[in-house]
Amino acid sequence: MKDPRVAGESEWLRSVVASYEGPLVRYAARITGDAERARDVVQDTFLRLCEQDRQQLDGRLAEWLYTVCRRRALDVQRKEHRMRATLPAELDRCPDQAPQADAVERGEMHAAVLAVIGGLPTNQQEVVRLKFQAGLSYREIAGVTGLSVSNVGYLLHVALKTVRANIKECEG
Amino acid sequence: MSADYHQPDSNMSLNGASLDAAQLAEARLTAYVLGELDADDRAAVEKALAESESARQQLGAIRRSVELVTGALASEPGVELPIGQRQRLIDRVVGEPREADIVPRFSKESRPARSVRRKFVGYALAASILLCVAAGLGRLLLSSMQTARNVELASLADRVRGTRAVDDANGYRDRYQSAHEEPLPESKDFFVAEGIPMATGMVAGQPEPTADAHSRGLFTVDIQDKESGVAKGMVSSSTSMAGGFVGRTKKGEALFDLSPAPSDRLAGLGFSEGQPNTESYARLDENSFLDVRRDPLSTFSIDVDTASYANVRRFLNGGSLPPRDAVRIEEMLNYFSYHYAPPADQTPFAVHAEVAGCPWEPKHRLLRIALKGREIDLANRPASNLVFLIDVSGSMDDPAKLPLLQSALRLLIDKLAENDRVAMVVYAGSSGLVLPSTSGLYKETILRALDQLHAGGSTNGGSGIQLAYQVAREKFIQGGTNRVLLCTDGDFNVGVTDQGSLTRLIEEEAKSGVFLSVLGFGTGNLKDSTMEQLADRGNGNYAYIDTHNEARKVLVEQLGGTLVTIAKDVKLQLEFNPRQVAGYRLIGYENRLLRAEDFNDDKKDAGEIGAGHTVTALYELVPAGGEAPAGNVDGLKYQRPLEPAGGFGDESLTLKLRYKEPEGASSKLIETVVKDAGSNYAQASEDFRFSAAVAGFGLLLRDSQYKGDLTFGAVLELAQASRGTDENGYRAELIELVKKAQALRP
Repeated sequence: MKDPRVAGESEWLRSVVASYEGPLVRYAARITGDAERARDVVQDTFLRLCEQDRQQLDGRLAEWLYTVCRRRALDVQRKEHRMRATLPAELDRCPDQAPQADAVERGEMHAAVLAVIGGLPTNQQEVVRLKFQAGLSYREIAGVTGLSVSNVGYLLHVALKTVRANIKECEG
Repeated sequence: MSADYHQPDSNMSLNGASLDAAQLAEARLTAYVLGELDADDRAAVEKALAESESARQQLGAIRRSVELVTGALASEPGVELPIGQRQRLIDRVVGEPREADIVPRFSKESRPARSVRRKFVGYALAASILLCVAAGLGRLLLSSMQTARNVELASLADRVRGTRAVDDANGYRDRYQSAHEEPLPESKDFFVAEGIPMATGMVAGQPEPTADAHSRGLFTVDIQDKESGVAKGMVSSSTSMAGGFVGRTKKGEALFDLSPAPSDRLAGLGFSEGQPNTESYARLDENSFLDVRRDPLSTFSIDVDTASYANVRRFLNGGSLPPRDAVRIEEMLNYFSYHYAPPADQTPFAVHAEVAGCPWEPKHRLLRIALKGREIDLANRPASNLVFLIDVSGSMDDPAKLPLLQSALRLLIDKLAENDRVAMVVYAGSSGLVLPSTSGLYKETILRALDQLHAGGSTNGGSGIQLAYQVAREKFIQGGTNRVLLCTDGDFNVGVTDQGSLTRLIEEEAKSGVFLSVLGFGTGNLKDSTMEQLADRGNGNYAYIDTHNEARKVLVEQLGGTLVTIAKDVKLQLEFNPRQVAGYRLIGYENRLLRAEDFNDDKKDAGEIGAGHTVTALYELVPAGGEAPAGNVDGLKYQRPLEPAGGFGDESLTLKLRYKEPEGASSKLIETVVKDAGSNYAQASEDFRFSAAVAGFGLLLRDSQYKGDLTFGAVLELAQASRGTDENGYRAELIELVKKAQALRP
C-alpha cells in the first residue's frame, strides 16, 4: 500500500528532479567537459538530496544543489584529469577578444554572444551562467562559488561590459 | 529559489582592488537591472537615472547586453537526461522502484534512502507552528535565524545518512558559514522554515509507519518571537493517525487545529502530482462586533476578487477542508453574480442596501450593501492594450498550470478585436519578450506564440515585470484599457528586489495608468496573499483559475469586468445611528479595512470596480437595546460615549461612497440613507438570502466564533432555498460544495 504521507515527500523529490535536472546537467557539463559524467554527477547530487533535511533546504534548494553539484563535478574532473575545464576561480585571465564579426553578419547574434562569453575568464563565465542560465541571485551565486556577493556583482558587470564592447564592435 | 532574500552589499568594493567611481556606478546599474538592489539603493539609482541622460543610456546598454546574454545562453542546446534514465533516476531518488530492472549504474552502493525520511515529520510539524507565527505577522517568509530561538526536537529518530553525504553536508555547512558569516542551523537546534509549507500540507511529509515505529512520541516546540509573543505547540505523532496538533498564541486562542484525522482524508489533499506544497496564506483575524456609540464609523475598500472561492472549491473537491486563512468571505460573496439593478444614469455604478433578519442569530439584523457596475456593450468597449506576463518556470510544467493557462488565454484572445493589442513576456530563470505588442487582427500570430510556451527553469519575476510594464507603456492606449496580466502558479519569486519594492513598482505603474491583474494557476505552490496584494496595489483583480470553466467565467463571461475598469479607489463609509443600531460587525473584508480619515483622503488607494461587476458586503447588526457580543472594553472614565443627535430616529445608517473615474484624480461622493423596514429573513430578496448562505458557509469554513448555531446542513437549506434561476450553475456548484464540507465535518 502506498502511504500518502510518503508520497508527499517523493512528489517533492520528483518535482525537484524535474525542475533542476536539465539545468544542473548543463552546468556540470561545463565543468566535467562531457555530458555523460555530468549526468553521473547530477544523479549523485540528487541521491544526496534525499538524505538532506528538506526543511533545512527550504529556500536554499537551488543554492544547495548547485553547490553540491559543483563540488562533485570538480572532484570528478580532478580525478579524471580531464583538464578541458572551465573552472576554478583562480584561473583569472584576460578575456580573449573573440567578437566573431562574421557570425553577426550572418545574423547569428546568439553564436556571437556565446563566442564572447566563451572567451571570458572562467570565473566570469561561471558567474554569468549561474546568473543567466541557472537564474540564481547574487547571494546564491556567492554561496555556490564561495565568492563574495559584491565580487559576484563586479564579475557580472565586467562580463556584461565585455559583451557590450565586443558586440558593439561587431555592429559598428 | 530563496524566498529569504538577502540583499547584496550595497557597497560594491572588491577585496584588494579599488574600483573607480565609474566602474562602481556601472556595477550598481547592472545590479539594478538584475533586480539585486534593495529599496534604498534602488531609489538612489532611480534618482540618478532621472537626472542623468548618460546614466539612462548606460542603463539601456546594460539591459540590451542582459537580453543578449540571456537569449544566447538560452539558445545553447540542453543536455537533459534521456527519458528512461530520468525516470530511473527519479525512482532511485524517490526510493520507489517502478520497474524491477534498475540499471546497474545505480547499484554501485546502496543507500538507505527511505530510512531518512522520518526526520521530516518533526520539522514539518514544527514548521507549521512557525507558519502560524509568520501568518500572524502577515509575513510570507520567515527566517528561522531571527525567529526560532529554541526548538527542541526530542525523541526524533537517529538520523541515518551515508558517510559521504555527511562529508558533503559538512563541506556545505563550512562554506556556507564562511560565505555568509551566519551559522547554518544544526538540525538538532534549529530548522529553517523559509517558503513555509502550510498546515494541511504537513501531513504529506509524514513518515511511513514502519520507519516511524520507534520514533513516535512527543516533542515540544517553543518559539519566541518578540513581535508575536510565544507560540507553543505540543505535537504527538502516531503511526496510524496524523498527529493531533493545536497551535495557540499567548492569549490562548487557537491558531489552527489539525485534529486527528483518518488517513484516507489526508490522502486527498487535492495537490497535483509532482508538486511540493508550499502554499501560504496570510493570517486573517475576523472583524469583531463594534459598539456604535464608540465606533460609529465603519470604513473599508471594496474588493472584487474572487480567488478565495475558487481556491476553497479546489480544497473541497480534493477532499479536504481549506485552511481557515484561505477563506476570505468577501471573495466568496463576490464570486457570484447577483441581479442588482445597474445605474440608471451615467454614474459608474448603482448602490443598493437591504436589511433583514440574520439567519444564524435571530436577535440580529443583516445589512447587505450591493454595488452594481455599469454594464458596457462589449462591442463598444474601449480598446485594450494587454501584456501577458507569463510564468514559465519549471513548476508550471503541470497540466493544471501552463496548458490550462494556454487554453484560458486562447479564450480571451479569441474575444479581441482589431484595435486591441496583445504582447507576451515570459519569465523563468530569465525573462524575455516572446510576442511584441500585436494587433488583435493577427490572432494566428498571437496564438502561435501562446502555443509555443513551455515550462522550464527557475523563477525570477522581477525583470519580467519591468519588461512587461515597459511594453505596456510603449503601446499605451489613451482612454483604453492598459493592463499587465500576470499569470503564475504563485512562485512569483521577487527577483526584482524585496517585496516592498515590487509592490511600489506596481503601485507607481498603476498611477501611470497601467493596471495589473493576477491570474493564479495550479496548486501546491500558491502564494495566495502575495498575489492578492500585488493585484490590489496594481488597481487590478486577482482570480484563481482551477478549471477551464473558471477560465471561461473570468476571461469570457466577465471580460468586461476583467478588462474595463469603470471606477477606481472605491471606498465605503457607514455611519450608524445609535438610535437604531447598538453594534455592528463587517463580515469579511478584513484586509480591506480603512481608517475613518482615509475615506476623504484621495491619496489613499482602494479597490476598483469593473464593468458589470457586482460587489456585496454584509454587516451583522445588533439592534438598539441589544448587547453587542464582543463589546469587551471597559466603560470610559473621563467622558461619556457619544450622545445620539436629535431627529433621524428612523434611520439605521448613512452609507457614503467615494470613487474616482478610471483616469480621474479627485473623488466623487454618493450618499444614501438606509432604513430598516423590519423584514424578516424569509421576506428578503433571493439574492440577499443567497449571499447570507454564502457568508454562513464562509463562517463555518473559518470556524468563526460568530457562526452562532449554524451548521453545514442549515447552510445547505438556505442555499437551496435561494438558488433562483442560476443561469450559469454557480449556485448549484456551491450547494455541492456545502455537501462536501458537510461530509468532511458532519
